[in-house]
Amino acid sequence: MTNPVIVLRDVTKTYPSAAGPFSALADVSLSIGQGEFVVVVGQSGSGKSTLLGLLAGIDRPTTGQIEVGGTRVDLLSERAMSAWRGRAVGIVFQFFQLLPTLTAAENVMLPMDFAGALVPRERRTRALDLLNRFGVADQADKLPVTMSGGQQQRVAVARALANAPALLLADEPTGNLDSKTSGAMLELLASLARDGQTIVMVTHDANAQRLATRAVHLADGRVVTPTNGARA
Amino acid sequence: MAPVLSPRWRKVVRDVWLHKARTLLVVAAIAVGIIGAGAVLDAWSLLRLVTRGEYDASLPASATLRTDSIDTALLARVRAVPAIANAQGRRNVMASARTSDGVRTALLMAADDFAENRIGKIKPERGEWPPADGSVIVESSSVDFAGAVVGDSLTIQVGDAQPQRLRIAGVARDVGLAPGWMEHVVYVFVSRGTLRQLGAPASLNELQILVKDRALNRDAVRRVAADARAVVVGTGRSVVDVVVPEPGRHIHAAQINSLLLTQGAFGMLSLFLSGVLVVNLIAAMLAGQVREIGIMKAVGARADQVAGMYLVLATILGVVASVIAVPLAAVFGRMYAQFTADILNFSITGFAIPWWAIALQCVVGVVLPVVAAAIPVARGSRISVGEAFRDLGIGSRVVGGGPSFQLAGLSRPTLLSLRNAFRRRQRMVLTLLTLATGGAVYLGAINLRAGIVGSVDLMFESQRFDMSLRFAQPQLPDSIEAVVRRTSGVARAEAWTGTRGIVRRADGSLSDAFPITAPPASSEMLVARITRGRALRAGDERVLVVNRRLVEEEPTLTVGSSATILIAGKPTEWTIVGLAETGTSNAAYAPRATIAAMVGNGRVSTAVVADALTGPAAHFDLLQRLRSDLAGAGMPIQSGQLMAQQRSVVEDHLLMVGGFLGNMSLLMIIVGGLGLASTMSLSVLERTREIGVLRAIGAPHRAILTMVQVEGLVIALLSWLVAIPASLPMTYVLGKAFGRVMLEVPVSFVPEPAGVVRWLAVVVAVSVAACAWPAIRAMRVPTATALAYE
Repeated sequence: MTNPVIVLRDVTKTYPSAAGPFSALADVSLSIGQGEFVVVVGQSGSGKSTLLGLLAGIDRPTTGQIEVGGTRVDLLSERAMSAWRGRAVGIVFQFFQLLPTLTAAENVMLPMDFAGALVPRERRTRALDLLNRFGVADQADKLPVTMSGGQQQRVAVARALANAPALLLADEPTGNLDSKTSGAMLELLASLARDGQTIVMVTHDANAQRLATRAVHLADGRVVTPTNGARA
Repeated sequence: MAPVLSPRWRKVVRDVWLHKARTLLVVAAIAVGIIGAGAVLDAWSLLRLVTRGEYDASLPASATLRTDSIDTALLARVRAVPAIANAQGRRNVMASARTSDGVRTALLMAADDFAENRIGKIKPERGEWPPADGSVIVESSSVDFAGAVVGDSLTIQVGDAQPQRLRIAGVARDVGLAPGWMEHVVYVFVSRGTLRQLGAPASLNELQILVKDRALNRDAVRRVAADARAVVVGTGRSVVDVVVPEPGRHIHAAQINSLLLTQGAFGMLSLFLSGVLVVNLIAAMLAGQVREIGIMKAVGARADQVAGMYLVLATILGVVASVIAVPLAAVFGRMYAQFTADILNFSITGFAIPWWAIALQCVVGVVLPVVAAAIPVARGSRISVGEAFRDLGIGSRVVGGGPSFQLAGLSRPTLLSLRNAFRRRQRMVLTLLTLATGGAVYLGAINLRAGIVGSVDLMFESQRFDMSLRFAQPQLPDSIEAVVRRTSGVARAEAWTGTRGIVRRADGSLSDAFPITAPPASSEMLVARITRGRALRAGDERVLVVNRRLVEEEPTLTVGSSATILIAGKPTEWTIVGLAETGTSNAAYAPRATIAAMVGNGRVSTAVVADALTGPAAHFDLLQRLRSDLAGAGMPIQSGQLMAQQRSVVEDHLLMVGGFLGNMSLLMIIVGGLGLASTMSLSVLERTREIGVLRAIGAPHRAILTMVQVEGLVIALLSWLVAIPASLPMTYVLGKAFGRVMLEVPVSFVPEPAGVVRWLAVVVAVSVAACAWPAIRAMRVPTATALAYE
């Protein structure tokens, strides 16, 4: 493994519930290197989304340490976390989560706007470059509601890469797409990884595991050894 | 080229546009608050400007002394007093004016030199000035009351002299007079030559002085007036009366100040309620944006950046609301100022609302929504990405199931509406309280109005007669009573007299003059409500009953105390035997025989008559017959007045305040209605999916509409209930505020039943109107869209 971009040490995440504390992740330790395309797989409730949330700084571990690109994410304040997330992490969601009142280009420009990246007049140029790279330049000035699911997801990927983050996180990015579109989406992510982009993707999609460099299996909040032929 | 706005600000602008109805509601909420408070501020600032400018410029008399004939030599002597800037002589004569609506009381005002206009300057408005012999100039506030038209004529009669038709040569305004339309008096400026022509005495008997130092307080002016009095007395004349008004204060200033202060307080309250409504709306707006806030944070937005966006949004809404509200507030404020100026006998023509009042409204308009939004924005922008994505929809985290109503006889949709009303309790309580506050003020104003009418009843209860007649010359009481009782329709009659008194205080200073009414011993027609001590009785000599207002001005006049009173300029000793509650102006009561002996050689000046007739026409007819019969018996009448007319003068003054409070409560009910509309809009939005389910299982349009309307009605009816007890402290506060400047109002702590029913009708109408649009929206949502709503 090249220098690890992500290091998790003994990470536990517990949620309170009416029936007592519920452990979503338990003592997870993991390292992911630069340019790896890692898929996180497991059944519903296994802790996949919790792991992704912790990596994105959306949630905080109950115990343990999380280091992304040399930054101890678990120690950041909420304000610093937002700023860090804007610069260092790009997130692609299952339901795209584009802002409905902004056009595709504006959605891509938004992270640059918040992070103060580039001078304002260069932001649209970069947004158009990214949209062009993912084949949706013709949708640049359209609102999300007028686009297909595949187009929206490509715009979402472009937005995730707007600030050239060290880490791209994807939460079931093909879960809301048809098989043809989802195949294209996986190819796109794989090509990004080949270009050196570190990607961690939560998925149920078996095809994704074939394109990934590694699969992390979770069961009941713990990393487990796969019992079939998936690469671990 | 770089885009004009960055994406986040475009989002702000598009959110405003996308949610037009909600945006309009917020703008309307802010605008209503600004219109309410702004109109009062505009009116107040304009009136302040006008009254200061016009009233001070009119050089109102610092003091008025009533004495014998005033001539040029006396005026010169008074002007020579070092502290006196100027002096002028005037005479006022009571008369009758025949108008198209009947005979009116007229006050003829003459001066030594109107052209000089030295004190209490009169401002010519139309036609000629000064009044020439044989013509009259009508005071502006009496023009409509007299039906006067410049160029026409006015028939005036003084006492039993021959009526004279005099040409109306012009119209002029005297800002120092209470308006003629309100006092039910036709004010007329005439020359001394015209007074002679009318058969009235033309010598001047009122000496007005103007002090050099206009900053002197009332006591200091009284000392200057005492110097002037000494000069007059030094010439051998007697001074029967000295009146020193509060320097710089218009005759109705207290009422207007009270009115404006009360209005201002309610303006602030409406602004506060608007703020509450904006808090509610912004909180709901943010609740609807939770997922978008989560997305923005996921792509790197910091809490302060998110907060900045929504605060700028609030600022934009404030700017839009101000652009709409400030001009409207100026229009309403100007109308209100004009109305109030009419009461004060001023004109606001030519005066502009001061710039600072406009600027203040703009600042408040912009700052109010930002301040109101601050807490919900701070809370909303701090939400973590995780929380935002776990949120299942607008405010679903805090939606409770509501109480499980199980009322027999209610349909299932009605039960659902009842439960829905209680699902968002915090929002429901806020809406309910906003509406209930408007209701409490509405009911409070109605209670106060009833209290005012009750207090006027009490005031006139003591005066048990239907009309009073003032004689041109003092007459013997027995002669008067004999003639009056012979006139058909008269049930009872008494001859009264009166004078004016001045208290000489222990330190030698003098009080303002006050009227002393002198009925016969054991009068059946003056039955004052005695609150301490006793009433006048047979055998009394030098005893006085004083009213509460006089004691407020002269606190030494306690029951049992002795007082030195100047009557016709001579000191006389009196014992105070009773304290009475008899109205808004200071007054005292003494035995007729005592006063008649002092000022009329046993003769009296007034007859009061109770009749057995009904209807104003019958009363008026009797008044005319009495005039005729008394004149025929050699006792000409100077003026006659019906009590109903006097009562309406008093009521007009007092009910004006109650009427304005009613108007203010309507403004607050509008704010409450907007609150209900916003709550119901959000309720429909939150339950879009639920509505879809209801539609999917066969609920017709009517059922959806009824469900929304019933939910709104539940809140409205609860606010109706809350407003009833809340109106009682409101009534108490209003009654106290009213009592401080007008008169103590016997407010009832049982809400007026008619008012409660009216408030029910108002609140139901407001609810139906406020829920109409949300109900229509609920009906229009396609089932498929509703079911897909997240």
